[in-house]
Amino acid sequence: MAESLLRKLIPDDHACEDVLGELAEEFGRASGWYSSLRLRIRYWMAAFSIAAWYALERCRQARPAVLPDSIQGTNGMNNLRADLRLALRSVRRAPIPTLAIVVTLGLGIGANAAIFSVVNGVLLKPLPFQDPQQLVSVGHAAPGVGFRRLANTASTYLTYRDSGRAFEDIGVWSSAQVSVTGQARARRVTALYFSDAVLPLLRVRPALGRGFASSDAAPGAPETLILAHSFWQRHLGGDPDVVGRFLRMEGQRMEVIGVLPERFRFLDFEPAVILPLRVSPPGEEARPSFDYNALARLRPGVTLEDANRDLARMIPLVSERFPSFGRISLEEYRMAPSVLPLKDEIVGSVGRVLWLLLATVGLVLLIACANAANLFLIRIDSRRREIAVRKALGASKARVVRHFLVESVTLGLLGGVVGLGLAFWGVRLLIAMAPANLPRLGEVGIDSAVGFFTLGVSLLCGALFGILPVMLSGSEQLSSPLKEAGRGSSPGRKRHRFRHSLAALQVSIALALLIASGLMIRTFYLLGEVDPGFQRPEQVLTFRLSIPRAEVEDHMQAARLHQSILERLKAIPGVVEAGAASSITMEGRSNRNFVFAEGDSRPGSQTSPLRSYKAVAGDYFGAMGIPLLAGRTLTWDDILRKAAVGVVTESLAREHWGDPHQALGKRIRHDPSDPWREIVGVVGDVRDRGLREGVSGIAYWPMAVEDFLGFDLWVRRALTYVVRTERVDAVGLLPEVRDAIWSLNPNLPLAQVRTLDAVVARTLAPTAFALVMLSIAAALGVALGMVGLYGVISSIFAQRTPEIGVRMALGASPGDIGRMVLKQGGGVALVGIAGGLAAALALTGFMSSLLHGVARSDPLTYAAATLLVAVVCLLASVHPARRASRVDPIQSLRWG
Amino acid sequence: MNKLGYLGELEQMVLIAVLRLEPDAYSVAVRTEIEARTGRRLARGAVFVTLDRMVKKGYLSSCLGEPTPERGGRAKRFFSITPQGKLALRASREAFAKLWSGFETALDER
Repeated sequence: MAESLLRKLIPDDHACEDVLGELAEEFGRASGWYSSLRLRIRYWMAAFSIAAWYALERCRQARPAVLPDSIQGTNGMNNLRADLRLALRSVRRAPIPTLAIVVTLGLGIGANAAIFSVVNGVLLKPLPFQDPQQLVSVGHAAPGVGFRRLANTASTYLTYRDSGRAFEDIGVWSSAQVSVTGQARARRVTALYFSDAVLPLLRVRPALGRGFASSDAAPGAPETLILAHSFWQRHLGGDPDVVGRFLRMEGQRMEVIGVLPERFRFLDFEPAVILPLRVSPPGEEARPSFDYNALARLRPGVTLEDANRDLARMIPLVSERFPSFGRISLEEYRMAPSVLPLKDEIVGSVGRVLWLLLATVGLVLLIACANAANLFLIRIDSRRREIAVRKALGASKARVVRHFLVESVTLGLLGGVVGLGLAFWGVRLLIAMAPANLPRLGEVGIDSAVGFFTLGVSLLCGALFGILPVMLSGSEQLSSPLKEAGRGSSPGRKRHRFRHSLAALQVSIALALLIASGLMIRTFYLLGEVDPGFQRPEQVLTFRLSIPRAEVEDHMQAARLHQSILERLKAIPGVVEAGAASSITMEGRSNRNFVFAEGDSRPGSQTSPLRSYKAVAGDYFGAMGIPLLAGRTLTWDDILRKAAVGVVTESLAREHWGDPHQALGKRIRHDPSDPWREIVGVVGDVRDRGLREGVSGIAYWPMAVEDFLGFDLWVRRALTYVVRTERVDAVGLLPEVRDAIWSLNPNLPLAQVRTLDAVVARTLAPTAFALVMLSIAAALGVALGMVGLYGVISSIFAQRTPEIGVRMALGASPGDIGRMVLKQGGGVALVGIAGGLAAALALTGFMSSLLHGVARSDPLTYAAATLLVAVVCLLASVHPARRASRVDPIQSLRWG
Repeated sequence: MNKLGYLGELEQMVLIAVLRLEPDAYSVAVRTEIEARTGRRLARGAVFVTLDRMVKKGYLSSCLGEPTPERGGRAKRFFSITPQGKLALRASREAFAKLWSGFETALDER
């Protein structure tokens, strides 16, 4: 930012290079013992000082042109400059009140700039592709079966590709973790599968080699892949002849056909490799499964509505062309098109949280402005004589008003500078605290958009907190200057009322913020009480392990290798149980399918909602701490015999047979073409989709099954392991786990090593993030509000000292006076609290999606927050009250 | 004598420093030279701005050197004084000399 400022101010490129070079020379050298931050601050200061010199030089050069005007003295620019000089002078003359205003505003503006930089990076910046507004994500909604969003089947994709009119082209993609072997160390990396249309759609051309052609996706075509720039650099040494080389990916030899440009990111993925996605037309027997994410580029001039209409036209065509799609009852599903901007795909529901946070800090800023307005009013009051003299000497009212506005805007800008500095820290804090799944975090930072936002907010604040008191003074005081400026008179009633309402406004907003954060705290607390369905997650280590075909060709042998690994793991001292599953609770990668029960003739049973199913091995339930309610769990014997048995969760059992014990011996299957499978056990429910979601039925199958969803033999090679041990935190545990695995096969990489606790925490992260942010905003709001109330009450009574003196001289006791002050403070507080309760009801309307288990009008939270604010208000009034009651009547009348 | 008038104090200092340092006169060297000889601290920006103004008036010419790593890969700008610059410097010195003539001892300490 310093650089771009310099570039703007220094007209000559060479001179600019020179300046930047000198800065680099001076501050690059000293890096030894200076912390990098101090260095950066010094760098910035030097850069700004140079920029200021150049700015002055510009003015100097421009001066001869304005000289004739300025001699006349009536020129607007010149007056403005005089005002500015006056403003700076009065800032210098009263450093403490200035500091109070600047710091107050700085806190408010800083919080706003920090949150805005996140909003900007995550929500506002366009995707880094050419014409990103034309890129859309193509999907469906199926409210009939409870889906807000369904992706595509092969049949919908092929239909839209061939019959679509709205799209320039459409492509499909998916993501996966793949193993790269054949190098020094086996690695798991992120891979994206792209159909051949995707890169051209994104207008991305490989930096080396070529992109995919339709021939790469043809059945039987040689295996090809495109490397990401970073992978090419890091693991292949940036070999310029890499195109044409072969890599082993998932045990298969694949030819490198291209390298992506640097900085390629797709949505929130930073893939290491891109593999061709092969889509073959589904056979008649296939069950439609919505596995493909589709993206498309709209033709020029086509709107989202047009595209949705086009999709709606094509949905009935799908089953005409692909009979297998006809198994989906479009009426039952209430299948509707859903074409959305591609950005929505990545931003998702985060947008709401971020806008809410921005609104929240906006409220904090409002408190800060109210505070600043009050302080400013005090300042104007203390300069009534000066104003009176200026008016008497012929200054117009507009001129006086402008003078104060220039001053307030100057203060606002100073606050903005402080705020930008705070935001610089705040953004780092935010990035460090933000949930890992907050998308596009890499794009968050202080950039020119944030700079302009801060500038705008600062100007607005300056104008806002300046204009109110000035208008007030303008109407009342400036019109009768000398009269009111006399000794001993109190400022008018109207101004008291204005101050009271400012203070009440601050109390209201602080209360609303406090209630909002209180509701989040309650939510978080209640989520902590929710039973996840498993026990003591802090004692469970989880990691992902996959056995590629290159290592073990035979499926059953792979299953036996998993068995041996689990046995070795269990033999590690301190390990209580070890098991594995295709996906564990809250991991977010469940497969889902229909569950049909034998002999179930209940209406609607043919379109039952989709259920999660998982493949398990070893003592998965024991390791997770999921209780067995009836029957038995799955054994190695079931796996090795490929027995047609399974285990279901309690809720699934209750839904179909009313009681867990009744479910034993009953038979279920996912697909009419599968054989029936017997339920041998019922286990407790788990919150598979996170603590906030309800429980849903899950079917557990052995890790190896026959005749499953069209597969002759279905063995899960990639499993998430769960190891229960009290030694989770022990330093030596992980090496022992690795050794146990690598003693069997050294080519098996572990991925995503973490505790089950961490898996749970990840699902809570968005809530925790909102909670922390709201709490900070509320704390800031309450602190600023309290300072504001204190300031108002004490300054009003400071001005009323003569009146208090008279009252006491006429016989009022100190207690009476104290009560009077408290009553006034109490009145402000009551109005503020009433407003705050109303504001809270409105504010919390936006956050119902964040709340869990607590109503947005939760009386307990409202009562607690109100009580807290009332106490704070009381505290803020006690000191002024005590001071007022100690007023010495003689002194006050003599000197007041 | 230049029609734009005499050189300012800092302008003179900068021109003299460039004269002394040629052919190695670049911004940092000019500043340290002036600081070392006069004992006065100078703002970086003041030196830059003055150097640029002198170039614009035709008293100095500049050329870019090789980029060096310690300058973050940026080039130094070397300055040299032009005949016009020498002329202006001489004119300033002569003007001062005329003003001082006969009073050289007036400020001597007694």
